[in-house]
Amino acid sequence: MTEIILSVEDMEKTYVGGVHAVRGVSFEVKEGDSLAIIGSSGSGKSTVLRCINRLIEPTKGVVRLKGEKINTPAADINEVRSRIGMVFQSFELFSHLRVIDNVSLGLIHVRGMGREEARSEARKVLERVDMLDRVDAYPGNLSGGQKQRVAIARALAMKPEVMLFDEPTSALDPELIGSVLETIQGLAEEGMTMVVVTHEIGFARDVADRVIYMDQGLIAEDGPSSIIDEPKTERMREFLSSIND
Amino acid sequence: MVTEASTERFMGWPKRKDLIATLAIVALFVSISGASAQEVRSGWAMVDSGTESDLLTAEFHEGEFWAFGTGGIMISSIDGGGTWSESGISVNQDLTSSDSNFGSMAVSGNDGTILFMRDGVWTDVSTSLFGDITDIALTGNSSFVVIQQDEIWTCEISEDGSADWNSASSQGEIDYFSISFLDSDNGLVSGEKGAIMASTDGGASWEYRDAPSEVSATGIIDIEYHSSIRAYAISDEGHILKSSREGNVPVGFVWSIVEIEREYPPGGGSEFEVGGSTLDSDVSNIDVIGQFKLLLSGSSGYLAISLDGGNIVSQQMIPLSNETSFNGFAMQDGFRGIAIGENGSILRTENAGSEEFVGFEVIDFNDFGQFVDYSKERLMDGLVATAKIVIFGIIMGFSLGIILSMLKTSPTTLKNVAQTNRFQILLVFIVTPIWVLMQIPISVVKATGLAKRWNLDNPLNGVMGYCKERSLQIAASEPLNVIAIRVIGVALLAFGIHRIFSNLDDISALNLDGWEHIYSPIGAPSAVFWILFGVGMAVLGTIFLSCNGDFSIRELSLGRSNISLNPWGIRPLNTIATVYTDIFRNTPLLVQFMFIHFGFELGRRLQDPGMMLFDFDYLEGNSNFITDIFVVYETNPESLAYGRPIGGILEDRAYISAIFALGLNSGAYQCETIRGAIAAIPSGQMEAGRSIGLNYMQSMRLVVMPQAVRICIPPLGNEMVNLVLNSSLAMIIGYAEITRQGKLIVATTFQVFWTWGMVLISYFLITWTLALFLRYLEEKTRIPGLGISGGA
Ligand SMILES: Nc1ncnc2c1ncn2[C@@H]1O[C@H](COP(=O)(O)OP(=O)(O)O)[C@@H](O)[C@H]1O
Ligand SMILES: [Mg+2]
Repeated sequence: MTEIILSVEDMEKTYVGGVHAVRGVSFEVKEGDSLAIIGSSGSGKSTVLRCINRLIEPTKGVVRLKGEKINTPAADINEVRSRIGMVFQSFELFSHLRVIDNVSLGLIHVRGMGREEARSEARKVLERVDMLDRVDAYPGNLSGGQKQRVAIARALAMKPEVMLFDEPTSALDPELIGSVLETIQGLAEEGMTMVVVTHEIGFARDVADRVIYMDQGLIAEDGPSSIIDEPKTERMREFLSSIND
Repeated sequence: MVTEASTERFMGWPKRKDLIATLAIVALFVSISGASAQEVRSGWAMVDSGTESDLLTAEFHEGEFWAFGTGGIMISSIDGGGTWSESGISVNQDLTSSDSNFGSMAVSGNDGTILFMRDGVWTDVSTSLFGDITDIALTGNSSFVVIQQDEIWTCEISEDGSADWNSASSQGEIDYFSISFLDSDNGLVSGEKGAIMASTDGGASWEYRDAPSEVSATGIIDIEYHSSIRAYAISDEGHILKSSREGNVPVGFVWSIVEIEREYPPGGGSEFEVGGSTLDSDVSNIDVIGQFKLLLSGSSGYLAISLDGGNIVSQQMIPLSNETSFNGFAMQDGFRGIAIGENGSILRTENAGSEEFVGFEVIDFNDFGQFVDYSKERLMDGLVATAKIVIFGIIMGFSLGIILSMLKTSPTTLKNVAQTNRFQILLVFIVTPIWVLMQIPISVVKATGLAKRWNLDNPLNGVMGYCKERSLQIAASEPLNVIAIRVIGVALLAFGIHRIFSNLDDISALNLDGWEHIYSPIGAPSAVFWILFGVGMAVLGTIFLSCNGDFSIRELSLGRSNISLNPWGIRPLNTIATVYTDIFRNTPLLVQFMFIHFGFELGRRLQDPGMMLFDFDYLEGNSNFITDIFVVYETNPESLAYGRPIGGILEDRAYISAIFALGLNSGAYQCETIRGAIAAIPSGQMEAGRSIGLNYMQSMRLVVMPQAVRICIPPLGNEMVNLVLNSSLAMIIGYAEITRQGKLIVATTFQVFWTWGMVLISYFLITWTLALFLRYLEEKTRIPGLGISGGA
């Protein structure tokens, strides 16, 4: 039986100011699985991801990583985060550092590696995302797709147990999306456990083992990727048709 | 295709050229040094005395100069010492001493010779009572006191010219060398074995006075009772002794040895010898011509002047052979007079013998070249002084700015504070402060390189680690202890209220009415501090008391409007930093300068403890460039002023105050600039840093700050240029920076336009260099592909 890597139980989040963004969300991700979360803008997808690695604290609920409760003061938050890779919609590369240093920063300062060791490790990861030829470039001189692949490499370098992608392609020009999706797909095929928030319905259908449709802070539909082709709720149907146009 | 690197080089070159050009101009400016030759002319002029006899004593009497010497030579001059002729009455004995006072003149010499002159009539009152008379002093227009070996006699000349001699009561047994009377009652006598005696009854009776023990074995060869507040004497070893009136104690009771700081050779110049307590030359005579103005004469052509009571003694050039021995002076006033010596030498002066610096006297301040020549040194001094406070001000302001901006952006809220457990409290309030206290000396010792041998580590490192670990464990295992928080709340509330009430009395003791209370922070600083502190504690206590484990925002409905309260969101560190920046940004820098230097006396308060820390004995042999920043000591082994501070921040109080005023003020502004830059970094950068496992401080240091600092280079550059310009305010506290030097130049030259113009140029050079450097830095640190720069 495959191990459950990540589980979320009855998560709720109310923001300062009273927005009840997530109203009780539960799901589990097994080792090697990839979960796609879809849903219209403002439905709370990002909030769920950010609560998982505690960039924000959930108001209620339990998040477990390999069965260990991580949203308690007891958990070493920095250690927990280093076990969860996160890729942002807007890349968030460190613009003052070269590509290679972006990737090796965490290895040096979190994993305590020496500079050279970290760099050679970083090169390996950059090779996986096909960015080896631009190791000395600054992020500002990269295209969006390249940036996102470097961001993926930065997260991958920490050897995370699970990767979270928050709309990794939404900020990209259409012709650049492909390479990033390919990279993510490659990771999924290598057996990386991942949660992907995405608007790329085709990608969700082809790659995800399971799809969750979120609406107004709740899970409206949950099932294998086939549910995309046979939505049960009116909302999801509307959502899908609005995207396909 | 142009590669990235070549573009960079291409763009970089002209900028670097600018920089090099600037540095060259500055170097040129610095290297211009004045070394124009000066001709020095003696302040003494030789006059023809018409005699070859040794002249031993001289007087200025009723508009005439008189000189006396061996073989009864007696000459006078009625034209201020220009021409001399023999006059008076003739005797054959050597005339060795004289006095002129009360309209009379008395001359004494060998074999009991005493000549007395009143209203131009000379009387020979020589007596067979004595052998060779040592010294004579008048106590009235017909009375005088003489000393001879170990005897003191008073004498009254009656109308018919007969003399009435009386032996003064004296201890005897020592030989007396010199006598001097201030008026008809008060006189001083000096002699061998450091003896000084005083009389207050015209010489009839004498009492010993305490001379300093250093001269107890030496003879005091000349003494002069100059005024009711000052008397001087010299010893045959070259000590200068001084007595002043101290309170009700009259002159003559307390004697001290003058510390001779420097002895300048003839002709002035900057080289000097450090004198110690005795003069290097053989001095036999002292003439006091002002409270602090002394003339000294001696063998080997020694004539010298001191304008500060003997601290600095400048030997004078003489237009004669250096072999000539000088035996004394006769001064008409503080400037005009004569010096007499062997072989009939008479020198005359109109400026107390001071050298004339021919090159200096004729500076024409209307000639721009000469004006610049004169003022450039001062301006350069000012430039260096300005650079010094600017550099330290910038360092201090920048460090402070970084710290304050970190405090201001710190996310720690009261909620976090309430959630701390006992090990965190231990860590924050006890372990970390002690750790820091121990770390400071360790870092200093490491930095000064005093202890290269041992590997110094902070002994508390282990304790810190243990506390951190335990506090994490407790946070995990124990729920929030609401009771404890409430108990602390009660304690804080009680403490705060107690503080407020126990200090209210001090405020009411100020007797202020109404709005006058706004000045109470100055009237009772500690009371106001404690009251504000108490209010803060009481508010904090109330918040803690209200704790129920729910830290969310409270909504308060007041009639129609809803107020949301978020007491747990208060950020205490931010509050502290805000108070600081508000105070410094809402008051004028000029007033801050004056308050810090004159009011708070920061310079004085820091100087003494600082000097203790960098004590000479401690630094001796171990001083290095880091300790030199704080204090530099004079280390001339021959000098008595060995270990005197001659440089470094601690030497000058105004310097200390100026650095702090500039640094503290600039810190407040730089804080806002840096905070703005931090705020300009997208929050996603912090999140990205934290998402790979960096902690808050690491993300700040490695991700946010490097980018923020680049953003804030231009505004910080402005801030630093401002700091340079603001440094001119330091003139108000007497710090000798450029503007103050400008004022001094105007005071001597009256060239307003040129001076202030040159001051402007000096400032421009500094700020322009700084601006170019910052531009260069900005270009250097620019992140490729980020932001619109008009460049690559
Ligand atoms: N920091 C925040 N403060 C307050 N409200 C927020 C914050 N972030 C998101 N929200 C609100 O929470 C809801 C869910 O947002 P989000 O999780 O970003 O949705 P999604 O990622 O699905 O578009 C939205 O209504 C949004 O306005
Ligand atoms: Mg989102």
